[in-house]
Amino acid sequence: MKALVVDDSAVMRKVLIGALGRADITEVDQASDGKEALDMSMANDYSLVLMDWNMPNMLGIDAVRAIRAAGKTMPIIMVTTEAEKSRVIEALKAGANNYIIKPFEPATIVSKIQEVLAKAS
Amino acid sequence: MQAKHINPFIEAVYELFETMLQGKVERGPIGVTDGGARPSDVLAIIGISGPTRGTVSIGFPTPTALAVVGRILGSPVEQMDDTVSDGVAEVVNIVAGSAKAKLNAGSEQPLDLSLPTVVRGEKYNVQYPSKSVWLEVPFKSELGDFILRVTFETTPK
Repeated sequence: MKALVVDDSAVMRKVLIGALGRADITEVDQASDGKEALDMSMANDYSLVLMDWNMPNMLGIDAVRAIRAAGKTMPIIMVTTEAEKSRVIEALKAGANNYIIKPFEPATIVSKIQEVLAKAS
Repeated sequence: MQAKHINPFIEAVYELFETMLQGKVERGPIGVTDGGARPSDVLAIIGISGPTRGTVSIGFPTPTALAVVGRILGSPVEQMDDTVSDGVAEVVNIVAGSAKAKLNAGSEQPLDLSLPTVVRGEKYNVQYPSKSVWLEVPFKSELGDFILRVTFETTPK
């Protein structure tokens, strides 16, 4: 099982990779903006994508739309500071499977990852 | 700008400490500053745009910045480097993001955030637009002291 972590913060990517490790996902690729995430999603078959919203070059929400438009169906969890209800709805409509608002407790993100993967299997 | 408009940012700092940083934090009295005094070793800045424009900054002494980023990563951070800059940028991003959502509640014209910027060094000056008034809140935490500053061009509703 391989996952993609997308965030323009290298520190946040490390935090998320740690959370994936606690969910027994140790094979992880990284992208630092939406464009890179889109390119990598087209070139690989990921079992899960953790996607930030606000990033340079291409927003995470636009990357989600493009990934879904290309027919990719892997679970995508938005992990973002965008905490408004309207943003959550926008992300789910775009094709995200779940939504985690920063700041989060470490245990929360691990359980959310496990929940999304269980639904997808 | 009134003191109550900084409350969402103060709440956001407390939420950050309750969740990702898992430590105690206590705020000091809210003050007013021109934004130029007491530059910190590391200053993380983020812009707010929309129906009103503003700026949020969090200034950290080096030991606090190292401790905060170390806590986020779950491992000690010994020296000031790009990882620390990246970490404090994410901190101001999270604080401003949480506060933005509170300010946006019920608003038809939501506020947006810019990407964060970090300034670090022993000697620097930050020049803000003249006449800008900043609300300033000093915090004490188990990870060290830091200062939150917020300014808005006009008062948010």
